[in-house]
Amino acid sequence: MRAVRLLLLVLGAAATAYGGWLLLPQLGTTLPWLIGGPVLHDVLVAPLVGLGGLALGRLVTNRLRLAWIAAGLMASATLLLIAVPLLWRPPSAPPNPGLPDRNYPVGLAVGLTVLWAAIVLILVVATTVDRRVTDRRTNRP
Amino acid sequence: MIRRPRLPVPEDFTAPSHSPLVAARLGLWLGVAFGLCFGTGLLSHYIQHPPGWFAWPTRPVNLYRVTQGVHVLSGVAAIPLLLAKLWSVYPRLFVRPPVRQPIRLSVHALERVSVLVLVCAAFFELVTGLFNVAQSYPWGFFFPTAHYAVAWLVAGAVLLHVAVKLPVARAALGTPLRGRTAARAAAPGRDESSERRAFLRTSVGVAGIAVLATAGVTVPWLRRVSPLAWRSASGPQGIPINRTAAAARIAVPPDWRLEIVWPGGRHTLSLADLAALPHRTAELPIACVEGWSASAHWTGVPVVELLRWAGAPTGRPVRVTSLETDGLYAASTLPAAHARDPLTLLALRINGEQLSPDHGYPCRLIAASRPGVLQTKWVARLEVLR
Repeated sequence: MRAVRLLLLVLGAAATAYGGWLLLPQLGTTLPWLIGGPVLHDVLVAPLVGLGGLALGRLVTNRLRLAWIAAGLMASATLLLIAVPLLWRPPSAPPNPGLPDRNYPVGLAVGLTVLWAAIVLILVVATTVDRRVTDRRTNRP
Repeated sequence: MIRRPRLPVPEDFTAPSHSPLVAARLGLWLGVAFGLCFGTGLLSHYIQHPPGWFAWPTRPVNLYRVTQGVHVLSGVAAIPLLLAKLWSVYPRLFVRPPVRQPIRLSVHALERVSVLVLVCAAFFELVTGLFNVAQSYPWGFFFPTAHYAVAWLVAGAVLLHVAVKLPVARAALGTPLRGRTAARAAAPGRDESSERRAFLRTSVGVAGIAVLATAGVTVPWLRRVSPLAWRSASGPQGIPINRTAAAARIAVPPDWRLEIVWPGGRHTLSLADLAALPHRTAELPIACVEGWSASAHWTGVPVVELLRWAGAPTGRPVRVTSLETDGLYAASTLPAAHARDPLTLLALRINGEQLSPDHGYPCRLIAASRPGVLQTKWVARLEVLR
């Protein structure tokens, strides 16, 4: 394992150095975009997600419901992130009459609706099954 | 009870999703996604800037369509996986450095720096890639070279990270997620093992949803399913267009002639001459570097037949030049394998119609298994290289 780790270390250092050397001519313009991701995530996104999670945990006490709502929120956030470049085109983007070639806002809205409808359906079915099992247990003499 | 606000410590985070068992598994899956993305990206780079030892096959005709589809979709899948992984290891951000022990401090610093490089580079690749597929460039750098350089940073930083974390990761991956019944009975209440599994299942599920929401750019039967596919297969004459004739400032001269040049010879022919030569129809995809792809029926003269007819040597690389005077993709070089492929056409028609100006009228190059940017439009000149 020691040899494998050492090999990974050497290869990793070499590849990182090569990438850094390739990036050197554009370092000035890329730096804000390199640093921006982790700063935004660590200082803003992650704390907000944590606080949101705590609040959600207080509001929704049923474990199953909480898990599915959290999953729905994670999926919605991912879809929104992927949609950002499609919904927001800064003026620096060159004109391309082929783009946008479909209605992305409507597509996103439909996608999110389908997602949440599926989650509601799953929760309704799960709750009904749960209630039936409980009823059968309590009805037993 | 009023507590003084303070910076959190790792022990403050009690959710089961912060367990190394979760982080190691997410790391493994993210490693697979990044590995696929890096490998296919490297292929695409070499196809466009081939080093001497590199050769790219002409068959199957959809090969580049598949590799570049894998490139963009593995990148899309990596977005939720990266966020889940960062969430899982977020408490580690607050580990206090061992200030009084110089050796441990330097190891700690080295690990922090390698992780910082990894996270910076990973975010950069996913964000710039996502904007590039939408053909939006809200930055001052040149996307292809920056995306390529930072890809090496990601690859190197991933290897460094694995080198540092290998013992922890191996131990975590060797520990089953499902806690033993005895342990569960001993600690009733919160079922940590099922919460860990739920977090992992959700992460993978969301990655799947993200892929499904975008895969329509390249998978024909998902075209109508994917709401966020950045390109559909529609467009003028059934195929999308990236660069229009107006954007490339193309004006086809009325006396347009195709020029064929080779060492020791030259031949020109008019559009009527070209149209009179034997034609061939082939179904070939336009597979863009942005991951979208769509097939069409192209009709035209096979380049190898054209060269033979003109008396030029065949089986050598051919430089194809456009009427476009500036622009990065005004010319491309057909490698020898593609130049001798009977499916490499100088197309005059698309799906039974004459090429529209935006599709490259009077004629365009279309070859199997190549990036769309190398399928030169508005062709003016073929030069057989040595």
